[in-house]
Amino acid sequence: MASTVAHAKSEWDTLHHNGPFPLKTLYITELEGEGNLPDKIARYKDAAAEIQRLIKETQNANQGFRAYGSRWSMNHIASHHDRMHYNGFMNMHIPTFAADMHAQSNFSADNIFFFQCGNTIKRVSEVLSAHGKSLKASGASNGQTIAGCISTGVHGSALDVGSVQDYVVGLNIITGPDPQDIIYLEPASRPALNDAFAAKIATKIVRDDELFRAALVSLGSFGFIHGVVIEAEDRFLLKRYVQKIPKKLALELATSMDFANSNFKIPGEVDTQGKPNRPYHYKVFINPYSNEKDYVVEVMYKKPYTTPYPDPFPLIKESIYRDLIYVFIKIAENFPKSIPWLIKRLRKTILPINDLERIVTGTLPEIFWDAPYQGAAFACSFGVDHKDSAKALKVLTDLTVNEGPIPGIFAMRFVKQSEATMAFTRFPITCMLEIDGVLWKPNRRIMSLNQYGRRMIEELKKHNIPFTLHWGKNADWKFPGLVEHMFPKDNIKSWKKARQALLSDEMQTLFSNHFLADVTLDHNNSGPTSDPTDPSL
Amino acid sequence: MQLTNPFKKRVFILLALGLCLQSCYSVRFVSINGDEQPDPLSTRTDYYRDMQVVELDTVITAKATTQDINYLIKESSACKSGRLHTVEVRNTFGAILLSAVTFGRKRKVKIKYVCQLETN
Repeated sequence: MASTVAHAKSEWDTLHHNGPFPLKTLYITELEGEGNLPDKIARYKDAAAEIQRLIKETQNANQGFRAYGSRWSMNHIASHHDRMHYNGFMNMHIPTFAADMHAQSNFSADNIFFFQCGNTIKRVSEVLSAHGKSLKASGASNGQTIAGCISTGVHGSALDVGSVQDYVVGLNIITGPDPQDIIYLEPASRPALNDAFAAKIATKIVRDDELFRAALVSLGSFGFIHGVVIEAEDRFLLKRYVQKIPKKLALELATSMDFANSNFKIPGEVDTQGKPNRPYHYKVFINPYSNEKDYVVEVMYKKPYTTPYPDPFPLIKESIYRDLIYVFIKIAENFPKSIPWLIKRLRKTILPINDLERIVTGTLPEIFWDAPYQGAAFACSFGVDHKDSAKALKVLTDLTVNEGPIPGIFAMRFVKQSEATMAFTRFPITCMLEIDGVLWKPNRRIMSLNQYGRRMIEELKKHNIPFTLHWGKNADWKFPGLVEHMFPKDNIKSWKKARQALLSDEMQTLFSNHFLADVTLDHNNSGPTSDPTDPSL
Repeated sequence: MQLTNPFKKRVFILLALGLCLQSCYSVRFVSINGDEQPDPLSTRTDYYRDMQVVELDTVITAKATTQDINYLIKESSACKSGRLHTVEVRNTFGAILLSAVTFGRKRKVKIKYVCQLETN
């Protein structure tokens, strides 16, 4: 039997210290040993039974429950003040075969992979690499669990690919404690696995486009996502360049995404007519305190996988010396006016180096490799239509300079539209405009992160720029009418309806948390209110 | 050589201190593959945050007949896979001195290691 240890706790924190948040019980479940239960499906079902037992135990105690993985989210989305479940040891990969494919499936059986919730992006990529395959895209690093990624909408900067949830083709969700509460969900219009396979892992098979799209970015509230079916593709290489280009050109590319007719040319990255290739990835780094005429941009081009290629690790493993960040925080808190000066001094370590001689070639998991823990951090990330990206950047950098300074730098990444109902990448190409930096303690000289988050929302609204917010990052999540402002009414209605269809009233309450209440997406919008000691934003 | 001059004495002490400090360093070996074994109960705030770290600070005594000293990494609750992911080796002036004065018989070992998370 899979075994769980329940630990009495008083608080829980994110990896980057964005809490702490109150907690009563932390469950840690470990799988039954392979030697005792060699059959993978049997082990997987054994783990499902254990999760259902924990849900029942929580229900009997009239408490709430939330699963989490690598705790990379920077707000209270993954927290619950009652009971939380650590998924990191639930990391099975269950092979699927051609015989498991649905008769109407258009997917190549070779590209379909089934993973348990706690597998990290790194582990998923390792399994895929062993089969000559790759994820289509990932976030900027690889430590998040697959279930955590899709629940919060983790994205990279793949212009024509999308976010992690966009290559998910099936979900295995535990929606309650009873036998019929284990669902295999996939879209009716694009089935992947057949009933025979689904029946091995679930008691109910649901093929429904609307339910599936809603459950993709579930904010952790559609039950316990136990398994995820993904579509991979053949392994490929990315060739990464970093270059300084005029601000005007960088922003023209951001707003037009028209690389073919631009003046942005990298030697060798042109088509047969000599027009610039469209990159796989485009990212712009912006120091809001600099008056330099150029921006640093990072572009990556997709190439067929061939060996050998130069070892990418010597260049991608470079990171900032941690103590430097602590010094930075302390100076920034006490002398906010020093922030522009500090960022300028640190630009060589916090910005990629502009050097076309330092081209990096590697597979997706090599390029977006480990990001070692570097201390307390914040990130505010807005999704805007790429056509509005230059305007939004000006609004937010002006705010940061005029009402700040804030210890961070901006970046713009670009992601293809998602089909998920509550995906923040909801524009045809969404520009994720983000400020990342080190957490600070507010005082009379520097405003709080919550105030800063609120002012950013106010300014974008004032300038009539439609926006969304990254679910896993910092914001003033209690801003009145926030979700209604970010998403069309039909999306919100569809998402809530899907949740009601999949979960009983009691389970909707059990799987709600303060975050869901703050954004008024909880069961009846009268759920738990934030604890006054809760530092959530 | 007798250091009677106070200035020379100070310079000598500073040099010795400098050499001692120079001989304290750590090197971390990290596998590019695999996840680290996590520790969801850990409250560390250093490089090893969220990782199940084993810290070893001991002196290994070699027998006269011992040619190699192998410190075995075994499967345990802190190292479920029995496979290494990260090893940090710290060298100190004291450790070098101990090895020197005991002609290599006593070897101070100060390491931290993290095992790979078991794959399933």
